[in-house]
Amino acid sequence: MDTLQHLMAGLTAALSLQNLAFAFIGCVLGTLIGVLPGLGPAAGTAILIPLTFKLDPTGALIMLSAIYYGAMYGGTVTSVLINVPGEAASVVTCIDGYQMAKQGRGGTALGIAAIGSFVGGIFATIALVVVAPPLAQVALKFGPPEFFALMLVGLCLITGLGGRSLLAGLAMAVLGLLIAMIGIDPVRGAPRFTLGIPSLYDGLGFIPVVMGLFGVAEILLAIQQPHHKVIKTDLASLLPSREEWRRSIGAIGRGTGIGFFLGLIPGVGAIIPTFVAYVFEKRISRTPERFGQGAIEGVAAPESANNAYANAAMIPLLTLGIPSSPTIAVLMGAFIINGLTPGPFLFQERPDLVWAVIASFFLGNILLLILNLPFVGLWARILHLPFPYVCTGTLLFCVIGAYSLQQNVFDIGVMIGCGIIGYGMRKIDMPIAPLVLGLILGPFLEKSLRTSLEMSAGDFSIFFTRPLCLVLLVLAAGVLAASALRLPPRELREASTD
Amino acid sequence: MPKFTNCLSVAAVVLAALTGTATAQQDFPNKPIQLMVAFPAGGSTDIAARIVASIAEKALGQPIVVVNRGGAGGQIGWTELVRQKPDGYYIGFINLPATNTVILDPERKAIFTEKDFTPIINQVLDPGVIWVRADSPYKTVQDLIDAGKKSPGTIRAATTGILSDDHLAILMTEEAAPGAKYRLVHLEGGAAQFKEIMAGNIDVAFDNVGSIVKRVQSGEVRALAVMDDVRSKFLPDVPTMKELGYPTVMSNSTRGIAGPKGMPAALVTKLRDVLKKAIEDPEHVKKLEEQGIAIKVMVGEEYEKYFADTHAKAKKYTEWAKNRPPM
Repeated sequence: MDTLQHLMAGLTAALSLQNLAFAFIGCVLGTLIGVLPGLGPAAGTAILIPLTFKLDPTGALIMLSAIYYGAMYGGTVTSVLINVPGEAASVVTCIDGYQMAKQGRGGTALGIAAIGSFVGGIFATIALVVVAPPLAQVALKFGPPEFFALMLVGLCLITGLGGRSLLAGLAMAVLGLLIAMIGIDPVRGAPRFTLGIPSLYDGLGFIPVVMGLFGVAEILLAIQQPHHKVIKTDLASLLPSREEWRRSIGAIGRGTGIGFFLGLIPGVGAIIPTFVAYVFEKRISRTPERFGQGAIEGVAAPESANNAYANAAMIPLLTLGIPSSPTIAVLMGAFIINGLTPGPFLFQERPDLVWAVIASFFLGNILLLILNLPFVGLWARILHLPFPYVCTGTLLFCVIGAYSLQQNVFDIGVMIGCGIIGYGMRKIDMPIAPLVLGLILGPFLEKSLRTSLEMSAGDFSIFFTRPLCLVLLVLAAGVLAASALRLPPRELREASTD
Repeated sequence: MPKFTNCLSVAAVVLAALTGTATAQQDFPNKPIQLMVAFPAGGSTDIAARIVASIAEKALGQPIVVVNRGGAGGQIGWTELVRQKPDGYYIGFINLPATNTVILDPERKAIFTEKDFTPIINQVLDPGVIWVRADSPYKTVQDLIDAGKKSPGTIRAATTGILSDDHLAILMTEEAAPGAKYRLVHLEGGAAQFKEIMAGNIDVAFDNVGSIVKRVQSGEVRALAVMDDVRSKFLPDVPTMKELGYPTVMSNSTRGIAGPKGMPAALVTKLRDVLKKAIEDPEHVKKLEEQGIAIKVMVGEEYEKYFADTHAKAKKYTEWAKNRPPM
């Protein structure tokens, strides 16, 4: 009952003209980012954070969340029309989506993708409403030792699942933690690794760093990609035929389920659910030979999974403060610069804000359905924009954004530096996800570790005498051990780079 | 395009030269004033600063722009404040005794001292408070102190950060009742204290009245004592430490406005008068009192003396905090 009241209040807030406008702008920008090949949701969200500085936190977070899940919708357009995924989670959609487009059924492919995305997004949001409040209640009982262990589990999952080797993942995670230590020591107040530069007293800004690692680096990579031809296909008939509906309904349901459950596990990333949904659909199909030849289930299932995942991944963020992917980490950064720390306490401290943001997911998904069904032709036209202009424009936007953060030229330098480093790391195949997670979780991890030790007067047994904490630590060790033994399937490890 | 920007920059230089020569103290202010807050937007210092600014700018005839320079417990913002020209166009909030402890903690290597500020006016004085969970075995301060003596170093007492006023307050409590020692846990602020107290990870918290008054009224927590010489009007039933026989346990956090050192007296007077009116404005008073935050105007010698006294006191306890073995 309480939840319903909160949700209604949230819906009222989200429906205010102002917040509705922010959700709409977010959806449009998100779709745009999804459509533009090369720019993923993490990059897009990071680049657009500065746009929200002057907004009140509720509006800012509604808009940034909409950018995030909007990008998940938009990625399909390029997958279908030019066989290049607009963002990594649409890779699988290329397989059958592009085939459908070649057969002149591009409109139907985009239509079913939008519908599947809508179903997935709405279902996951309903589940979020049901699951999140009790989970937050439980998490409120967590003390610093439990949070320390929980964050360790999240970090280990991302490290263990991401990238080609555990060693590379660990190295990047530790690098992230080390960068997070730059600045004033959160307990003693002493400057660390600041080299006497006042701009470093507050640490390297998370936003300029991720704008560089994702935004600038992805543009640099995109420049090197060959330009693709847009396929001519029928965009008029968006709605599937009766036969296609019959095939899709089950696929959408299964994709939604798979996406939702995988969204709850930190470290899975946005790509794995789409692969799992596709493979599952192919395996249970009576006509698996149709897959790869333009099977509509091959579009419906992964697209539903993709959006169910995107909304489900908000659950660990909002209830536990654990980001499950780099994009969610960027979103967490947006919460933090608005003075809000995602986690169980936020539900108690700012229920108005949390519920307005959650309610806006419903509206956002409806807006996206409208944006992606009748207006899909418009998005397809964006693909004709000359790519050099898009790149230069985005880079310029990054520079202005980084500067506007705190009117400090230093941040532009940080962003460009991180852009070059991020580009290099991708070239040598080092996973970025563990670094970003280490960077955002670092201060919280350190604080909870040190507070725990203050509570126990320096005695480490506090981590082993609290049952829940012990279970979580064993889990973290188990994840790393499994990864060291290379237990996760190879496809899974290679796919999980978000 | 380059030609146009050249023209613009020439115009800007000319304009700057003209206004520069015209800047005299009598026409102060002839451009917007920046009011620095050394904490992020949305915090309690920031909210109150914006109210003051919106009222004072009407009387001043120029906009007062609140600029947030949060970070490092205020050190970033105060570093910036002392570097400005003392022309009255850049002033900012100082938060005693936090500003003092930043100066006094050698680990922080602050580039400024207490002499680098021109205090203008104090706005808020929020007394310290000792509080526990409503079902805590400690009903009074005496219960707490007795328990602290019985098993020293086991009662987990939360501050709102290292060398915060609340950290110093715990040391004062230890000093006033020798033998009672507490296990210090430095948390991030009032919200974190509340969470850990309710979850049973902390036994007692030291904070300020404004942070906890609503939760005392709702019965979720119990305030044991206010660390002031008079009772708080927001917590009239809670005794003061002075009443309880510990007159040396006197702790609070204040917020006031200061400029960089060397500000001409005429400017200080002008700003002080305008700001005083804004602080005493019923709208400002009402909004702060709704949150349980007490207004205390101090100007001139009174405020300067208060600054100096706070500094001396903070010095004593900062040194103590630095030498105290953690437990």
